[in-house]
Amino acid sequence: MGYNDSVKDSDNQSQDDARSDMSQESAISTPEQQRRIFRAFDYMLVPVASILLGGIVVFLVALTVGDWDYWQDWRDRRWWPLITPVSVIVAPAVFTYFFWKYFRLPIAATSIVLGYMIAAWVSRYANFHLFADFPMAFVSPSNFIGMAIILDSVLLLTRSFYLQGFVGAFLWGLLIYPLNWPAAAAFHTPLVWDGYIVTAADLMGFMYIRTAMPEYVRIIEESTLRTFGEAVTPLTAFFAGFVTILNFYLWVWVGSKLAVTRWATKLI
Amino acid sequence: MIKKMKIWQMPLMVVCLVGFQLYSDVVFAHGERAQQAGIRMRTMYWWDVDVSPTKVKVGELVTITGKFMPSSFWPEHLASSEVASFMNIGVPGPAFLRMHSHVNGTPMVRSTRFYRGKEYHFKVVLKARQGGEYHVHPVVSVKDAGPIIASGVWITVEGERPDDFKNEVETLMGDTIDLEHYGMQEIIWFNAFWFAVGVAWLGFWFIRKDPVLLRRYTFIAEHGEAEAGSLISVKDMVVSAAFFGLTMVAIVAGYMWANAKYPNTTPLQTGKVVTNEIPQQGDVLDVVVSNAVYHIPGRAFNFDITVTNKGDSPLRVGDFATAGVRFVNADVLTVKPIDKSDPVSPAGLIVTGPAVQPGETRTLRVSANDALWEKYRLTSLIYDPDSRFGGMLFFYDDEGNRYYSEVGGVMIPDFQNVE
Ligand SMILES: [Cu+2]
Repeated sequence: MGYNDSVKDSDNQSQDDARSDMSQESAISTPEQQRRIFRAFDYMLVPVASILLGGIVVFLVALTVGDWDYWQDWRDRRWWPLITPVSVIVAPAVFTYFFWKYFRLPIAATSIVLGYMIAAWVSRYANFHLFADFPMAFVSPSNFIGMAIILDSVLLLTRSFYLQGFVGAFLWGLLIYPLNWPAAAAFHTPLVWDGYIVTAADLMGFMYIRTAMPEYVRIIEESTLRTFGEAVTPLTAFFAGFVTILNFYLWVWVGSKLAVTRWATKLI
Repeated sequence: MIKKMKIWQMPLMVVCLVGFQLYSDVVFAHGERAQQAGIRMRTMYWWDVDVSPTKVKVGELVTITGKFMPSSFWPEHLASSEVASFMNIGVPGPAFLRMHSHVNGTPMVRSTRFYRGKEYHFKVVLKARQGGEYHVHPVVSVKDAGPIIASGVWITVEGERPDDFKNEVETLMGDTIDLEHYGMQEIIWFNAFWFAVGVAWLGFWFIRKDPVLLRRYTFIAEHGEAEAGSLISVKDMVVSAAFFGLTMVAIVAGYMWANAKYPNTTPLQTGKVVTNEIPQQGDVLDVVVSNAVYHIPGRAFNFDITVTNKGDSPLRVGDFATAGVRFVNADVLTVKPIDKSDPVSPAGLIVTGPAVQPGETRTLRVSANDALWEKYRLTSLIYDPDSRFGGMLFFYDDEGNRYYSEVGGVMIPDFQNVE
């Protein structure tokens, strides 16, 4: 940080103006200037790419996960922890190849997920809370940052997409439920309403009227895994882990096809 | 410049797209005329819909009562209410809290089945949550068929929701919780923690003495992938291992903390409710419909009914309800519209013929005749694929007792108004 500041200080405004008159080639002729441009590139590209890709993930989640991630009373033990990790890993898988091959940086998942989380919070707060007037807690997004750190750090530690998938993507699918439990547990508190047992989330879904979403459209707690009784939660988690591995490999492969050198050279 | 614009527009566009989905939820309340006329006439009959009071302050209760019956003429091409239905309310978003919802005395917290030709009495209690003017509709949402909407009533809610507005309920553990803000504290701390961890991870890779992206890129481009491994230092390995380990620990610790704080949790509750049956109307009369004709130029719907009175009091036709619209015979009933948009025609029903005496069988001519046909787009009946109608006729005896009879069948359009 100190280094960066000193560069800025030594370089006053008039020099900046003078440089803008020069041609592109002479602008990066000295190592000092090249350094500054490279630095500017770091601080431009990462936030921009992160917000851009995060926005794409918001769109992807809206299409594939949708209501499971919008409402507390949809985040059940069977569908939400299966559909969500499998869908959200697509963009990190595509870009993990790109950032690793060209930069040797394990940052794809964390930067994309951070961008997604910011976009999701803005959307939920503005659209669902301020505009549509639902309590913020009822519509707050789930959090995937812990899963992203695991995926990224496993890549760095193993230096292998194969192992990143086997360990990182598996943990990504496995851990979504326990990771989010601190924010979700309160909403699974039981109470009795009009003679029925309901969770706090169910009751909020009943009280805060969503006319276009009658109770029966919730696809929750439906699956043949029901026969396993108590063990559904861990069973679903393991299943989600395995499916996430397969989806991760698929999209890393897609990423490797997309990330041909031609694209990267265009960036500079 | 253009490229930059696009980048910044992306999140905005996404926000709009997500918002649009919600918007469609919000504006839904006035879709009452959108469905095909035949579907509206032959799905649910609604009557005795009452809202009281229609003017409240924030925090006060509104009770909506009424009756409905799924039509025996329910269209074949429409999913049935006998599979999964939900007693619903059409309001623009959570401007009201739904406190209670009952059908035939059975609480409708969840979905149920409503059977054709059976009478159901509903009662929904709302608590005003935000000031404004709202057109509120009773709705039965039918799985795969969509909302079946009764006519709406305007409710005025005075005042704004105060900051200390509470929606308190008691849990099974005896704690009182305020659902307006419940769980938010934990959500904030939980998210703040993980945002900090995420930013720290990116910070570790980018806050360095040398520029990162292009320097690493050019290094790999110049030296090849074989030497790319030298870009990763031992320190990188150690820090990554620490992040991995601490993240695992944090997830497990968070899970254990939540289990300790909320030892008693249950899965989300679902499954259908069985609705009570109430005594249905006795065998008082038979009605057979014939010659149903819709006169397009005159906006008049005429049909003959052959009525057999099995009771012990003379019967007269008082009103005809279909598709949420009500045509009243002014000779029998005096009805005032509830508000400016109440779809009732106080003198829209003309019945030719005397009262049907006990034991008698008599044919009467019924004519429902009003601009409401146009306003509620029921005239589009002639564009329906099966040209059938349905509705509910109400008969009254001398003591004011009311008996209903469902009527329906084939309807022939008359384009020339020859009659
Ligand atoms: Cu309306």
